Amino acid sequence: MKQLCWTALLIVLLIAGCRQQASTTTDIRMTLSVEPEPPVVGVSEVRVTLTGADNQPITDAKVSVRGDMNHAGMVPVIAEAERVEDNEYIVPFEWTMAGDWIVEVSAELPDGTTASQTFDQSVAVGE
Amino acid sequence: MSALYRPKTLVDVLNVPLLGRLLKWRWGRLALQILLLVVAVLLIIDGFTGPQSAARNLATVAPWVHYRGLVVLALLLAGNLFCMGCPFTIPRTLAKRLSIRGRRFPRVLRNKWVAIASLFFIFLLYEWLDLWASPLLTAWVIIGYFVASFALEAIFTESAFCKYVCPLGTFNFVYSTTSPMQISVKDPDVCRTCVGKECVNGSYAPQTVIRLDEIAGGQTKEVRHGPDGTLGCGTLLFAPQITSNLECTMCLDCVRACPHENASLFVRQPGQELLQPGAWPQRWDVSFLVILLTAMGLTNAFGMVPPVYELQQQLAETFGITNELLNLFIIFGLMSVLLPVGITLLAGTLGRLLTNTMKKFSLRETVAAFAPAFVPVGLGVWIAHYTFHLLIGLWTIIPVFQEFIGLPGEWERFGGVSNAEIITLVQVVGVVGGLLWSLYIAQRTAMRLYRRDAMFGLLPWALLLLAVAGLAVWIFGLPMEMRGSALFS
Repeated sequence: MKQLCWTALLIVLLIAGCRQQASTTTDIRMTLSVEPEPPVVGVSEVRVTLTGADNQPITDAKVSVRGDMNHAGMVPVIAEAERVEDNEYIVPFEWTMAGDWIVEVSAELPDGTTASQTFDQSVAVGE
Repeated sequence: MSALYRPKTLVDVLNVPLLGRLLKWRWGRLALQILLLVVAVLLIIDGFTGPQSAARNLATVAPWVHYRGLVVLALLLAGNLFCMGCPFTIPRTLAKRLSIRGRRFPRVLRNKWVAIASLFFIFLLYEWLDLWASPLLTAWVIIGYFVASFALEAIFTESAFCKYVCPLGTFNFVYSTTSPMQISVKDPDVCRTCVGKECVNGSYAPQTVIRLDEIAGGQTKEVRHGPDGTLGCGTLLFAPQITSNLECTMCLDCVRACPHENASLFVRQPGQELLQPGAWPQRWDVSFLVILLTAMGLTNAFGMVPPVYELQQQLAETFGITNELLNLFIIFGLMSVLLPVGITLLAGTLGRLLTNTMKKFSLRETVAAFAPAFVPVGLGVWIAHYTFHLLIGLWTIIPVFQEFIGLPGEWERFGGVSNAEIITLVQVVGVVGGLLWSLYIAQRTAMRLYRRDAMFGLLPWALLLLAVAGLAVWIFGLPMEMRGSALFS
């Protein structure tokens, strides 16, 4: 029985110890806007702007948008954005349910640097 | 000794190869508890150190999606499996010296009122603090359960936390009354001549003690108590008199402690005790526990749909109640307690009036007789709610766990939703099936109490059960809208 207890403790430590944190940069500023505002259930247009630490527009990032509802177990919506002009990226984004969402914008630069920022968004019931 | 009871049984589960051996094994329960303890520790770790997005954290996904969905199905199809392996009572299993000292739980609290209050409190906290959205707070709730359980186990001789306080356990107790398994004894006559009643008193002793008992047939049996013994039933149930699962944690300590191998776990007709007169105590606290838990099922689901936010807004605008806790307390207090209590008393009184049994049956006896009928429809409401979340996010636990251990989560592969039609079907079957079962129980009860006036006696209760099901169908037909404190932010 003692062996079972020690084994269990070892399993917990191993699983928890295997966790890794991704390396990110905080030098990229992001803004997010949604059209229509406020969004309703259904497809909206999400616009993201990226600006570097030197206030220069970032025009060559790979941008993805992930939306999670604030309730556990809800399926995320994940979409890749396309650059439309300068540092503006857009993506048609489907809000699958009304309520509060946590939108995470992730940007990956050609040099491998990554950045992410979360935005809160409240989605109303559609017509 | 009061009358012994043995339900009609089909199968002794502990005779099933491998399964029976595992369940009877001296360390069987502890092994299951350690497994769940490992899970609980991982949830606490992720809750404190992981992403604070509820959809991406084990601390929120595992309890609020998988535990809730699986536990209601397990209660209906098997029994009180969670309490069987509950990690919160590991201190009792291990700290036997603590468990046999101390006094009994105060007499004035030895009822279900504290359990009703704890259920109300946890559901109120769930909405007020948005526990469903907070991995950190959920982790604190888990820690709180460990602390409360250990404290009460240390102070009192019985499992006071399990029997009188724990909201999880209380929920499981109520709906395990539909389960197809129950503890009972193989031969009640063996219990009549049993000296030590180890099923409830235990076979644990700090030092080894050997006793020679005289058993049936003039024979003697050596009964050994010692440090390797098992504690008796923590909720003080005497195996041959168990008529209900209402306070049984299915820990099987009675089975392990019985020196005659007479206690066992049997398959029975699902919900058999709901049709058995006198299976439950005829007390207000027991009756209202069952009825209010049904109402709490409706209120808990109502908390997820748009009308609740409109109601909160109206309370704020009409009465100036902008404090969210007070606002929710009023809504929950009305919907989960005051209205159901009032309507239940009204139904009981109407039934007695319509059948002219005001002098024959007291209001307490009438409500107690019909209270079991609320179990299936209540379980149906909870199944409809919890399986919705389970089927929506069944496989999301995989990418969440992948991210927990530092791997990229395969959300595209495991983030899909179950077919919406299947989810709707499960919800309809849950609510309608529960309603039909409840109506059957109520009808049988009315026949037993009122004979030729059964239809009149049944009418108020049938209307109440129909109203519960109707409200459930309305709520589950609305679009879900999970908001935080939108009104108050």
